[in-house]
Amino acid sequence: MPEVYPQFEDIDQQQETYIVGMWAFLVNEVMFFGPLFFIYGLYAWKHNAVFYVTSHHLDYKIGALNTTILLISSWMVAMAVHYHQKNQLKKVCNMLWGAAVCGTLFLAIKLIFEWAPKFSHGLFPNPGFQSRYLAYYGADTNVDVARLFFSMYFAITGLHALHVLIGVLIFVWLIRLIKKRPDVITDYVPTEMVGLYWHFVDLVWIFLFPLFYLMPK
Amino acid sequence: MSEHTSTTNGHGDHGHGDHGHSGHHVIPQAKLLQTFFVLMGLMIATVVAARLPYEGGVKGIPSAIAWLVLLGIAFWKAGLVVQIFMGVKYSTKLTKLYAYGGFFWVTLLGVTLFDYATRQLEPVQGWEPVAESALPR
Repeated sequence: MPEVYPQFEDIDQQQETYIVGMWAFLVNEVMFFGPLFFIYGLYAWKHNAVFYVTSHHLDYKIGALNTTILLISSWMVAMAVHYHQKNQLKKVCNMLWGAAVCGTLFLAIKLIFEWAPKFSHGLFPNPGFQSRYLAYYGADTNVDVARLFFSMYFAITGLHALHVLIGVLIFVWLIRLIKKRPDVITDYVPTEMVGLYWHFVDLVWIFLFPLFYLMPK
Repeated sequence: MSEHTSTTNGHGDHGHGDHGHSGHHVIPQAKLLQTFFVLMGLMIATVVAARLPYEGGVKGIPSAIAWLVLLGIAFWKAGLVVQIFMGVKYSTKLTKLYAYGGFFWVTLLGVTLFDYATRQLEPVQGWEPVAESALPR
């Protein structure tokens, strides 16, 4: 059982404090990603027809595959918390490893099948974007606005991918702590907090997927 | 320190599931698995809804419906993740306040977008729109 620090009345209040603290951090994250979604929404509304054409240059099947992978990882993390509450540490580590693999797979698919082809075609925000876009897709839409779409695509999915990478590293770190430092991991709360972070990363993708890959006209 | 020894939190739902060693709610495996399958189903529903041919209908209305359906499903999925996977449904009132407060706060921030919807751009000298660019300045 974890030690109850003198400023808390009991273990429940202490654990609640950790969780509330984590939520305070997640509120920061909501405020960080929220305006990015608003900016995207504003331009999608102003340039709906162009965004519609440009969004079809993203493969929704890859987006759906990555959504599935993140949902599986989220379930695994929820299971890790479940097992930790029951003190089944081996199962906790297995689930966290599974989630770490899913996160890595997500990044690999994004990097290899999405970003790499876009970069090799010059479809990232750069001075030569216009000519590269015209050479690759033809004059199918307003290229200036298409550049705006791809700027936001790389900015928002890039920040999300950075969060995924941090999450994977935290999983590995947490597994190591669970195995080597039982004096540090005395209860399920660290797993719960890491889980909250990972679910938030999943939450961001739940909105990114329809907004970027499935945009209606 | 008071003599208060009972749990200080307000567990929302004691109807099912069991409790860990410290008295916190343990969400049952079956509930987590069920939530996962519902999320997968909603993901497939989003893709199917987005691939339906909306063009050719009454101008303006079909795309608005498509947006509503896609965002509606996204909010539904988000709700499931927050309530079940993140366990807010079973958490204390203080945790709920922080969790819902954050989403409420970002909604308030979104109100700033009304400025774009309701006011004209008033270009000042040097910020006129460039003829060959469709981008607003």
